Amino acid sequence: MSRTAGEINKRKMHSYYDYSLLFLTLFLVCFGLVMIYSTSSYNAQRVYGDATYYLGRQALFSGAGILIMLFVSKIDYRIYIRNLPIIKIKPVTGLYFLCIGLQTYVLIFGDTIKGAKRWISLGPLGRFQPSELTKIAVILFTAYIVQLAPRRLDKFTGFLRVVFLIGPLLGLIVIENFSTALVVGVIMVAICFVTSKKKGYFIFSGLLLVAAGALLVFFVPYRFERINVWKNVETHPKGYQILQGLYAIASGGIFGKGLGESMQKLGFIPESHNDMIFSVICEELGLFGAFALILLFILLIWRIFIIAINAPDLYGGLIATGVLAHIAIQVLINIAVVTNTIPSTGIPLPFISYGGSSMMVILFEMGIVLSVSNQIKAER
Amino acid sequence: MARSRTYNRRNILIIVTVIILAALALTIRLGYLMIFRSEEYAAQAKALHERERAIKAQRGSIFDRNGVEIATNKPVCTISVIHSQITDPERVIKVLSDELGLGEEKIRKRVEKVSSIERIKSNVDKEIADKIREYDLDGVMVDEDYKRYYPYESLASKVIGFTGSDNQGIIGLEVKYDEFLKGIDGTILTLTTAYGVEIENAAEDRIEPQAGNDLYLSLDVNIQKYAEQAAKKVMEAKNANNVKLIVMSPQNGEIYAMVNVPEFNLNDPYTLIDEITKQYEGQTLGAEKQNELLNGMWRNACISDTYEPGSAFKIVTATAALEAGVVSLNDTFYCPGYKKVEDRIIRCHKAGGHGSQTFVDGIKNSCNPVFIEIGARVGVDKMYQYYDRLGLFKKTGVDLPGEANSIMHKKEKIGAVELATMSFGQSFQITPLQLLTAASAVVNGGNLVVPHFGVDIKTPDGETVNTLEYKETSGAVTKKTSETMKELLEAVVADGTGRRAYLPGFRIGGKTATSEKLPRRNGKYISSFIGFAPANDPQVIAIILIDEPIGIYYGGTIAAPVVAELFDNILPYMGIEANYTETEITKFHIGSFEVPDFVGKTKAEVKELLKLYAFGELYPIGEGDVVMEQFPLPGEKVEQDSNLILYFN
Repeated sequence: MSRTAGEINKRKMHSYYDYSLLFLTLFLVCFGLVMIYSTSSYNAQRVYGDATYYLGRQALFSGAGILIMLFVSKIDYRIYIRNLPIIKIKPVTGLYFLCIGLQTYVLIFGDTIKGAKRWISLGPLGRFQPSELTKIAVILFTAYIVQLAPRRLDKFTGFLRVVFLIGPLLGLIVIENFSTALVVGVIMVAICFVTSKKKGYFIFSGLLLVAAGALLVFFVPYRFERINVWKNVETHPKGYQILQGLYAIASGGIFGKGLGESMQKLGFIPESHNDMIFSVICEELGLFGAFALILLFILLIWRIFIIAINAPDLYGGLIATGVLAHIAIQVLINIAVVTNTIPSTGIPLPFISYGGSSMMVILFEMGIVLSVSNQIKAER
Repeated sequence: MARSRTYNRRNILIIVTVIILAALALTIRLGYLMIFRSEEYAAQAKALHERERAIKAQRGSIFDRNGVEIATNKPVCTISVIHSQITDPERVIKVLSDELGLGEEKIRKRVEKVSSIERIKSNVDKEIADKIREYDLDGVMVDEDYKRYYPYESLASKVIGFTGSDNQGIIGLEVKYDEFLKGIDGTILTLTTAYGVEIENAAEDRIEPQAGNDLYLSLDVNIQKYAEQAAKKVMEAKNANNVKLIVMSPQNGEIYAMVNVPEFNLNDPYTLIDEITKQYEGQTLGAEKQNELLNGMWRNACISDTYEPGSAFKIVTATAALEAGVVSLNDTFYCPGYKKVEDRIIRCHKAGGHGSQTFVDGIKNSCNPVFIEIGARVGVDKMYQYYDRLGLFKKTGVDLPGEANSIMHKKEKIGAVELATMSFGQSFQITPLQLLTAASAVVNGGNLVVPHFGVDIKTPDGETVNTLEYKETSGAVTKKTSETMKELLEAVVADGTGRRAYLPGFRIGGKTATSEKLPRRNGKYISSFIGFAPANDPQVIAIILIDEPIGIYYGGTIAAPVVAELFDNILPYMGIEANYTETEITKFHIGSFEVPDFVGKTKAEVKELLKLYAFGELYPIGEGDVVMEQFPLPGEKVEQDSNLILYFN
């Protein structure tokens, strides 16, 4: 921002580009790779005989993701809501229907892993999780329908219209993946919230959402069990993973055991390079390391916030808000889960946790945010 | 965000604020976990990461009074398997069952059991363990440790006792002094991954074991050996069930030797000795029977078994009568060979009776009617009072497990008949050690000592940790009675029933006994003798019990000579010099002379020369006529009756 303010050029249209956000992103990705190597090398060696197995794959996806991010950041984001030249269809609408199609496909033909049908096999490339793509779709599509008539959001009916349009996507996700549905729901609500002048109905719909959530939790046995696990983490047999995470976090102490020195990653925390990676970060880098990472995320969110409020139009502001909400809710829920602050649910830590689709989607979203920043004109 | 910038900004700010607050809350939660719960969770995590391996503390040794090691440790190995590290289970099972001689099924069960570590066998000899180590099998661990080892094998087996596989005492002193001997086990803590693989280079936490302390006994290996030899000899000669022999200092209760033959091998305590297996030849013993027999074999009968002391108990009756002042040495009694008590006729051991005799003669002859008479004079109340003073109603307090107490009549149930039989040691039971302790008090001036083995507890470096103390009770008998009793008992040996315990040069006192085992009249006896020396100042007291001798069974005939033989060996060893009287010197050819020079002499000359000297046996070696060498050498001083060896050319 200071740079935009400082380099006012009245004659020339000067494009801004948020390099600090770019570097923050790159830093987090690199830090994530270091932690993935630290957490996964033991298991990779044990299972695949190659300590860099997970690191290599993640590096590959991160590299590809960064290229996508840089490419997307150079595309004007408004292109998504313009009709394509030949087929007369808006990309955002196309993406919306593609996601509905993929979500339906995955429910019927998807691969089942650990009891959940969430993946589409892509052969040697591994598996693709369509719900990740849906996150982008929801950000772009919600922002699109909201900015068509922002005033409607002042009334509850306007909000309901949005819910009605996003509903099919949400519904398809929630069948197999409650936590992703939660993230998607939060993104949608955040975008609506920002647009709306009146806040009253959010409290009302918030209560409604809680009620719906409660129904989903209490009437699905495995979710209800998680509540029990959460309350009795030290005694419940299924609390093993979370308890191991707590052991890791707590044994890190203030300064940590040092990078690579985690004991808990040696098979005690199953798949410690996945959702539980934050606990190993705590164990190795201590409270200071963990706090530094949280600060980095806050800084990242702050940058996105600055871009959102300086966006050249409402659509740009709203998609930046969507990305902000997405990253923030994943970071918060992930940390809350590993610290056993809330019942466990599988949400990866953005930029850090192992996972190709998740990483590429996040980097794609960062590309969109950078693209919004790129459209901020210095003279305005 | 052209037109709506203000409220949009505000709305996003609200969201960001909420996010920052939530992040703050989570940071606080993290801080709580990582600072306040850190220790607790870290300890729990550590317990999960560490595998504990115990390091056995070295058990303290047991030494005799001269510092001779009689219980020590030798290195052995423990073989264990770690399930998760085994790569070739079939080979492991094969090798271990071949080398250790265990059933394949048994080993398979342990190998296939999913556990962090499973012990296959402990106390494996080092050579076998080294062999197993050479196979270099994955997942097989060979840990060195120690095994209890008894260099004298069966010496004082029932006293010393042995230990179990986990190093705790099972019987004897090993149990009694377990807490001093066992030490404190140490542990090695190694870090392992969740799959049980030890992490290399991880700092091992090691808690060093603390070796146990050493126990120093009053037992004397040499005296014990002499005693065991003597006991074994008489057991074999008389075909007896067993022979018990205790040698003790009457002054302070230190036990020099406690023999229960047949003894068993302490290095192999679970194998029945031949004496027992012989009785069950051709039978297969059930586990229960086997166990019962083992327990019987380990039993220290000197302290755990009671018997009717018989005539040896007359020491107590005589003491009581003297203390009560109801008899004087010159009182005369008449023994017709029996005594009528109420409606019962109680016989003396001498069928024709001893006729008229003094009290002194009564003791020398061990005459029952005399003791029935004086027992009646003392009366039940007084009698029990003296029993009590001599410790006959309570255990002696010896530092061995499993001591039995006496079985006595209830005082109010004692009639004249009971009192009469008690007076010569029948109708009640005590342990041999109780009798020995009571007799000690009688001859040592009236101190009731606590018989014991343990003297000092020392650290392995020889520093004394604890000098064991035993409470003596003085005044059990007056000095005067004690002096009288010593004289009376010396008279029994000098020229009474105990004369076969007589040893020239030493003043020995004692009392014989022949107890008929219950039920009566089945021809089973316990022959015993209790003796002490020197009679004027007793330094050693011994009791021997020969259980069910075949043939002659009189204590005076078969038990007394054993004690004499024992004293003959141990008194000089204990530094008690022989002191011959004039009559003894002439009677027993006592004295020494200088050996003359035989070298160069012919056979005839030697024969002439030998007439002048009191040599014992002559052992000529060689066929020639002239002496080339001799032993002992010329000019040496030798005892009379010493043997002579001559080497002819």
